[in-house]
Amino acid sequence: MSEGRATVEIAHGVPTIAVSTSSTLPNRTGSWKYIQPVYQDKTAPCNAACPVGIDIEGVMNLLRLDRVEEARELLLRENPMPATAGRICDHACQGSCSRARFDEAVSIHAVERMLGDLPGVTRPAPPRTRKEHVAVVGSGPSGLACGYHLARLGYAVTMFEADPEPGGWLRFGVPEYRLPRPVLVREIERIRAEGVSIQCGVRVGVNLPWEDLSRFDAVFLGSGARARESFEWEDQGLTDVRPGEDFLHEVRAGQRGRTGRRVVIVGGSDTAVDCARTALRLGAEPVVLFAGAREEMTADAEAVEEALREGVRFEFFARVVGMQVSEHADDEQALEAIRGMFDAPEGGATRPRIVGVACVRMQPAQIAVDGSRRTVSIPGSSFVLPADTVLTAVGAEVAGDVLPADLHRRGYVLKVDAFGQTSRPGFFAGGDLVDEPRTLAHALGSGKRAAIGIDRWLRTRAGEAVPALDEPALRYGGSGNMSITRWRGDDPVRRVNELNEVVAFDQLNMAYFRHEPSMPDHHRAPGESGADFGESNLGLSRDEALAEAKRCFNCGVCNDCELCMVYCPDVAIKKHPSGHGFSLSYKYCKGCGLCVEECPRGAMTMTREGL
Amino acid sequence: MKKVIVGNHAVSWGVKLARAEVIAAYPITPQTQVVEELSEMCASGELKARFIKVESEHSAMAACMGASMTGARAFTATSSQGLALMHELLHWSGGGRMPIVMAEINRALAPGWNVWTDQNDSLSQRDTGWIQLYCETNQEVLDTTIMAFKLAETVDIPVMIVLDAFVLSHTAEPVDIPDQKDVDAFLPKRVARHKLDTGNPQAFGALTTPAVYMEMRLRQQEAMEDAVGALEAIDAEWGRQFGRTWGAVETYRTEGADLVLVTSGTVTSTTRHVVNELRDQGQKVGLVKVKMFRPFPGADLRRVLAGVKDVAVLDRNISPGHSGIFAEETRAALYDLPAARRPRVHGYIIGLGGRDVTPATIEECIQKTRDAASAAVPEREDVWVGVKS
Amino acid sequence: MSQIPVSELIPRDELMTSGHLACPGCGGSLAMRLVLKALGPKTIMSLPACCWTIVAGPYPQSSLGVPVFHTAFETAASTAAGIRAALDMAGDTETTVLAWAGDGGTFDIGLQALSGAAERNEDILYVCYDNEAYMNTGIQRSSSTPWGAWTTTTPAGTPKSHPKKDLLAILASHGIPYGATASVAFPADLVAKVQKAKAIRGTRFLHVLAPCPPGWRSSDEETIDLARQAVHTRVFPLIEVEDGQRWKFSIEHPAEPVEGYIRRQGRFRHLTDEQIRHIQAETDARFARLEKRVKFGT
Repeated sequence: MSEGRATVEIAHGVPTIAVSTSSTLPNRTGSWKYIQPVYQDKTAPCNAACPVGIDIEGVMNLLRLDRVEEARELLLRENPMPATAGRICDHACQGSCSRARFDEAVSIHAVERMLGDLPGVTRPAPPRTRKEHVAVVGSGPSGLACGYHLARLGYAVTMFEADPEPGGWLRFGVPEYRLPRPVLVREIERIRAEGVSIQCGVRVGVNLPWEDLSRFDAVFLGSGARARESFEWEDQGLTDVRPGEDFLHEVRAGQRGRTGRRVVIVGGSDTAVDCARTALRLGAEPVVLFAGAREEMTADAEAVEEALREGVRFEFFARVVGMQVSEHADDEQALEAIRGMFDAPEGGATRPRIVGVACVRMQPAQIAVDGSRRTVSIPGSSFVLPADTVLTAVGAEVAGDVLPADLHRRGYVLKVDAFGQTSRPGFFAGGDLVDEPRTLAHALGSGKRAAIGIDRWLRTRAGEAVPALDEPALRYGGSGNMSITRWRGDDPVRRVNELNEVVAFDQLNMAYFRHEPSMPDHHRAPGESGADFGESNLGLSRDEALAEAKRCFNCGVCNDCELCMVYCPDVAIKKHPSGHGFSLSYKYCKGCGLCVEECPRGAMTMTREGL
Repeated sequence: MKKVIVGNHAVSWGVKLARAEVIAAYPITPQTQVVEELSEMCASGELKARFIKVESEHSAMAACMGASMTGARAFTATSSQGLALMHELLHWSGGGRMPIVMAEINRALAPGWNVWTDQNDSLSQRDTGWIQLYCETNQEVLDTTIMAFKLAETVDIPVMIVLDAFVLSHTAEPVDIPDQKDVDAFLPKRVARHKLDTGNPQAFGALTTPAVYMEMRLRQQEAMEDAVGALEAIDAEWGRQFGRTWGAVETYRTEGADLVLVTSGTVTSTTRHVVNELRDQGQKVGLVKVKMFRPFPGADLRRVLAGVKDVAVLDRNISPGHSGIFAEETRAALYDLPAARRPRVHGYIIGLGGRDVTPATIEECIQKTRDAASAAVPEREDVWVGVKS
Repeated sequence: MSQIPVSELIPRDELMTSGHLACPGCGGSLAMRLVLKALGPKTIMSLPACCWTIVAGPYPQSSLGVPVFHTAFETAASTAAGIRAALDMAGDTETTVLAWAGDGGTFDIGLQALSGAAERNEDILYVCYDNEAYMNTGIQRSSSTPWGAWTTTTPAGTPKSHPKKDLLAILASHGIPYGATASVAFPADLVAKVQKAKAIRGTRFLHVLAPCPPGWRSSDEETIDLARQAVHTRVFPLIEVEDGQRWKFSIEHPAEPVEGYIRRQGRFRHLTDEQIRHIQAETDARFARLEKRVKFGT
């Protein structure tokens, strides 16, 4: 522009008047600065919070651009079961969502679910690029994840499942109304399509000796924790006091599930809520007994909400102190009449029967030194809750009897390293077998970590060059779960000078966002929902989910909003020729920091480095 | 075409014939007739110009500057206090080399209020980088107005046409008004050397450091020096086309004179009358009329005054604490002559604030010069004539 | 979409070059960049004495891609009127004549010329970038300086004891076709207003708040946030006025307390809580008057 200005007649070295014919570009005003901005993509809190280890922000950003297929592919890189996780994962991501501090968290689970539910694309299984063969014991979520990732890394994978069908507790422990079987089947089919071979009805250690696995190059143990912690009232020969997991398993297996009319469920876990809602659907009157406050339950808050809507009764701050038993119940006749509607209890009427649960009211006490809240019983507050059946949902432990005895343990669980490697080389473990919260997400995440561990171990064994071990670099934000994409080093998302740190909320700039409430999931009407096993949470439509994705702040990651460029008083920022990101002219940038301050998503940083 | 018009209207006619494009002015006695007539001319369509009726003389000059820098032929007119208010922008337009033309009706400065003529207003602006041309008659006013545009646009220096309040501004005289087509041939449309042009975006007047400021002032000075010759050439061309020339400096009956009066403005006419009378009486008296005050035509004055014994400079102005300004400038110019040919310069302060300058006033100045010529040393440099004792 | 769209509303072409001499974080230079983007290259600028005299660069430089007339302090509007007249005579109706002045050149020394131009409804766009003091000369108070502010001529012991002049109301009282306030923190609004003004004939006046880190004693990177807060606290409401009588708020103004805005700026450091309450009360009263204007016209 300016350099092309017409020349002027000069004498004594000057024109007739002070006529400016050049621009100010010769002035290197960048030399004034003592600090300078850099573009630096960071980690979104959701990515770091996700126990699966998903580039949630990346998925949302692709959806923002309506690149739905790419978004699904990015999701499927890290999570083999988005349709499942979108339904039943406790979505820690949403708890960490920056948007929650502005209006409401992005409904990440609904977006994930929508992507998981999209009709699949049929394509050939990835080529077997590795000669090694890996055995996976157990087809629960950790096993499925491990097998899936290994198959995609080029390994042959054979999975052994004790039950007649794959899925582990997803198939047997999660009620149909939360995870419809066709959804699970589709997800498992997708994993199979990656080349994972699943052999059902094979309980390793029982009808396949552990020694037979020596023909495999590596083994992943993901057989779960079906065995349970004991509940003191279960061992008194009371057949009406039973583990909730067994009850759920029976119902999922197509049996009717044996309960009386009045069902008391003890516990605050997802299993407790699942038992209550399942019993409700079977026509019973469930009551959930929990010693603490509602918000202290480990169960998904939304599931609790749904249960309440459906008519499940909750007794909070109530603890079991004993079982009221009668050889001949007071209302035996009436009871029998009702029981006839259900399966008869084993053992017939001669066995002692539960007639009620003796309880005491609790109250919150002071906060303990470690920060945990304690509750204490209220003297004289005992009461009896009439009950025909008591279901316990207080936790499960590892079925140690079927695992090789030489594997080192820590308490109930197997001792493993960060990549799930047990004390026996080549043996890896994940899911409920290891010391992790027993959630779907952690199971999927541990399966992935083990897949990375197995890949690394096998490559090392084969004498191949493997990247130096930098565990934090593999983890989102340094401490989140590992990313298989990072391990593979084939991220399809272009990162700018990435810093593997979670961006803090105060690094974001809320001035650029409109308040826009989150779209709640659709539900079946309460009357309808408690009545049968049809799916109760209907999620969001595709368009709704896409709109929800566009609520994402893209925390920490440049999404080309161009505000930095708009606000640069020194015209030092231009679009990068690649079309993504920006180039900053340090020759002119005076280091004012407006770009960094105004970046809505904390994707820039001021630094003294390089000056 | 001959018309009997006042001096102010002679300005207006000159501006019209010069096809000024932008006029910006603020009324002040005794200039008002200039702008009234121009307003009529614009309103009737005789003159196709944008007339900005600004809210002050300062804005008048600013608007002329804006117009001139955008390539237009710009004109304003003012007087006295109005000119003083413009002062800052006279530097701006002069230093910025904008060929604006202004009619300046010489009026005394307040306080106390005085609307009558003297030259202190225009002469106060002598260092602003404007050419100053003083007129004696309405014909000269009209001719000079047209020539002023040509001169300004030739050397890129603004030109001030100066005429005495009332004595000229409001006095009707027959004026030969040239044909428009002849004036158009003499003064074509302005072609600006520099202008604000979106097709060639330049900035004018940016911060100018000590490294270059002085050279720009030198270029201004050189252009001012060129203006003397430029006026001579333009005047000659005018003469060829219209049969009248005015010159930067005019000599009148100076042949063999031992005493020459130096005058400017309408005092010249009165002085011509006195010179005629004294010549009839056999006195060797002559007259030099200084039309161009800036740039100062020192070389011309040295040429016409060398060897004259006594020079009496009549100043309708005063630089308080020093002397009449024409006298001061004339003395300075003649000092360069060899001593033998260097006249004695006598300065007289006359006619301030519109006090009448009659033949008797001039005669008194001549007598005082004769008296002083016989004295060894003049009592003082400036002699006030016609004041109460 | 949840993110408020900004960049797509800002024209791409740059008419201001890097290497200009503004201080880091200068609100006035950002304002210039945005205004020129909105106006485009068919613009001629009348630029009186102000920070931009320096920012534009010394001879033989110019950081501005449009023709610029560096003119005298008080003559932004009058010089612009002359430029406009010359363009009219040349038959150029397309070019916008932009008078670009600071608050000193607008509120104070140039007000007469501006008022004259506005009364004559000169066909110019006058933009005042307001940094609320004579910043180029080293932070002296102007009639735009807010009550209570420190400047080098209103030391902290005796800070400015007069309120800021309501310039838009003064301009509106001339009945000009368009007047508005704008802020560098609302670039899309600013650009839209300039584009709207560009399409209108007659005198158009835009008052842009342009924070000045050295003069406000604020951090360089706070410029936008301060400008935004000035709007959100109603200290500097965004408003338009057509034909001097139809007033309209440009946005919903949240009523954030002024204290947050005041306390961030070193120029207000000396103020007591009571003085800040006074500023709050004055701000509320001014806004209430504006609301009346919006509701009832002038």
